[in-house]
Amino acid sequence: MAIAAALPPRLKLPTAQRLARGVLVALLMLLFALAAGAATDVSVHAFSDALVADDDGQARFPVGAADRVVSLPDDWVQSRPQRRDPAWYRLRFDAAGARERGGPLGLYIDRACANVEVQLNGQRLHAAGRMSDPISAGCERPLLVLLPTALLEERGNTLDLRLAGYALEQVASRQRAAGLSAPLIGPYAELHAMHERAWRLKVLLPQVASAALLLMGLVVLLMGWWRRRETHLAYFGALAIGWAFVTARLWWHDIGLSIYHSELLLVACVPVVALTAVQFLLHYALKRSRPIEVALIAQCAVVPASLLLAGPSRVNMIATSWYMLLVLQVLAAMGLHLWSTWHERRHAFWPMAALLAVVALMLGVELAAQQRLLDPFWRALPNVVMPLAFLGLGLWLVHQYGRALFDAEDLRASLETRVRDATAVMERSFAQMAELRVEQVTQQERKRIAADLHDDLGAKLLTIVHTSESERISTLAREALEEMRLSVRGLTGKPVKLIDALGDWRAEVVGRLSQTGVEGEWQAPTEDMPQTLSARAYVQTTRILREAVNNIIKHSGASHCSIRCTIDAGDFQLKIQDNGKGIPLELDGRLDRGHGMSSMKHRAKQLQGQCLVESGPGYGTVIRLTIPLEKHTHTA
Amino acid sequence: MKTILLLEDLPEIRAWMKDLVLRVFPDGQISESARVHDALELVSAIKFDLALIDLGLPDGSGVAVVEKLRDTQSECQSVVVTIHDDDDHLFPALQAGAFGYILKEQAREMIAEQLQRMAQGEPPLSPSIARRVIAYFAEQNKPQANALPHVSLTERESEVLLRVAKGYTLPEIGVQLGLSRHTIADYVKQIYRKLNVSSRAEAALEAQRLGLFRR
Repeated sequence: MAIAAALPPRLKLPTAQRLARGVLVALLMLLFALAAGAATDVSVHAFSDALVADDDGQARFPVGAADRVVSLPDDWVQSRPQRRDPAWYRLRFDAAGARERGGPLGLYIDRACANVEVQLNGQRLHAAGRMSDPISAGCERPLLVLLPTALLEERGNTLDLRLAGYALEQVASRQRAAGLSAPLIGPYAELHAMHERAWRLKVLLPQVASAALLLMGLVVLLMGWWRRRETHLAYFGALAIGWAFVTARLWWHDIGLSIYHSELLLVACVPVVALTAVQFLLHYALKRSRPIEVALIAQCAVVPASLLLAGPSRVNMIATSWYMLLVLQVLAAMGLHLWSTWHERRHAFWPMAALLAVVALMLGVELAAQQRLLDPFWRALPNVVMPLAFLGLGLWLVHQYGRALFDAEDLRASLETRVRDATAVMERSFAQMAELRVEQVTQQERKRIAADLHDDLGAKLLTIVHTSESERISTLAREALEEMRLSVRGLTGKPVKLIDALGDWRAEVVGRLSQTGVEGEWQAPTEDMPQTLSARAYVQTTRILREAVNNIIKHSGASHCSIRCTIDAGDFQLKIQDNGKGIPLELDGRLDRGHGMSSMKHRAKQLQGQCLVESGPGYGTVIRLTIPLEKHTHTA
Repeated sequence: MKTILLLEDLPEIRAWMKDLVLRVFPDGQISESARVHDALELVSAIKFDLALIDLGLPDGSGVAVVEKLRDTQSECQSVVVTIHDDDDHLFPALQAGAFGYILKEQAREMIAEQLQRMAQGEPPLSPSIARRVIAYFAEQNKPQANALPHVSLTERESEVLLRVAKGYTLPEIGVQLGLSRHTIADYVKQIYRKLNVSSRAEAALEAQRLGLFRR
């Protein structure tokens, strides 16, 4: 489990499940193997009764005091209630043919509680540990003694057993009250196999279970420690460790404390285990309650106090009452837990319900065993099944824990992806904003330059326009002002729709011509069209047109002027024709510079277009301007 | 006798403009000002018949004076006199209630003639201004537009605007529609008035909305 917890979450889930299933199957198979080996051989003799005498302090069977015969197995609760002194049992048997059979004989006692001494024909064969309080507790330890062939008679062998134990009222659990099972005599090899099986079931298995529970408890406790929010894990870890400690009594035969104190210690542990169990169930169901917690803690103090008050001779009664009460508390907590899980976490209900049912059943068996209501096989069952149930519960919790980790990992991964996406979006929009900002700043700067030009250069030119005495200078200044404005517009302008440009040009040309008495004729498409002109193309064309109209008004002496605008094969064409006197040729055969022809041509060339002028004295003038539209449609 | 406000920051230009105005209105009484602040004080004190207002002034825009005149002296004709011939500068002034505009660099005779025409109720209207007005009213009359007191152009007014936008002169439009020059001029005046009314309503609504937000 510890290894599984350290693996990456994706590996862990299936691994933990497979592991859990494997462990459960192996444990069940082991249990069946242990339980199945209980068949006895015919050659083994079981004693059904014995002669009994009270111990007189001598180390031998007190022959004179032997007054009665008891049937075996003997339970002191029935045969000599409230007696605390050791008792002698005398068994007689014949060993005829033992030598012929080959192997040695053996004595097997399944239960001799608490400690037994064995004498064969007056010879001490077995004695281990103390025979007085604190007696070395061997209640759960099967005993196998070799009967040496040399000591055996053909007939009339005497086997004396000295049994020391506690009265029922001295001990908390009936399992530790004195008693003797029916001793068996038979071939040593067979008895050895029997002893081996019993040893495994009654000693080895509880030891292994204690170790496993301790280990698992520590791991789960650690998990709970790392995730403080999941307090139920810590409680479960404590529960497993507590259970391992309480059940250590099954195999830990020599504690070294007097029976009263060892029982006190044990009983004091039980309410602590009950506390962890109840708290685990409540916390796991997310039903925490402070009053219950306080009551449970108080109970941990009250239980040992009640035992102390009652004294050594009422241990069993007090402990049994408490056990009943504690089991009821745990059962109530289980009910509450399952009720809550059913309503809130249906998916977790059935595994928990199954495990808790097993635990509840085992608690019931344990309680019944206390009252000697069940035969010995069933009495041993809780010792085996309870650890298994705990292990199952632990695995389930680890599974849930792993799943939560897995989900968290998944969530974290998806969160990471979302954060990455969001960051990308933010970066993109930031870049866009930066671009927009640059554009805004550029636009602002252009506007500022335009405003400066107007305020400073414009104002000065204007002053010249209106204060100059010379008409020529006024006109030049006015034209310079116009040029400046057109330049500024070219600097800041947006693309102009061709239809709007035509409107502006028409208003200007027709207005000026009519003011000067020249008859103007304007022909242009009037329906809406998709083409646009860049601000520069608009400005340059306006200048060319203005120059041409200036020429007509000032120099041509024309009475009629026609302007024709057409769009043809992606070109914008402008034809300006007047009936004036034409442009005189210079000496070198070129058209007059003063008429601005060269600047008109230059401007057209800048727009990748051309400007053709046809003129002759007396024939008027025709100016043809062609500008390719596409190249200026979208450039600003 | 006419009372005339002359708001212009450059002394030389103010001088020749005064000269020009006196030529057109020989009995005019002219109050001069070089700053928006001073002009606003004059407006509070004197009742004007005509105001010639420059836009770019050292302490602000002449539009503020146009607005104040519109609000307090509705009989006064505000005329914007500017070096800027583009509609980006002129349109806000017209929205604020200016009755017309004069471009400063024109010859004195032209300016004198325009002043006279405006005095007779014939405001100028260029194609680009006409297009802006058309676009403005188209935006106002959109169904989802804010709940403004409804100001819209009549069919004839729209017709005149469309023709101006296409470059036809007012006399030409008069001929085309079979209307007199004066009738066309009336339409143009009406368009200016509606532009101002609608703009003011819009501004009031905007102020109200800002007030609501601030609360």
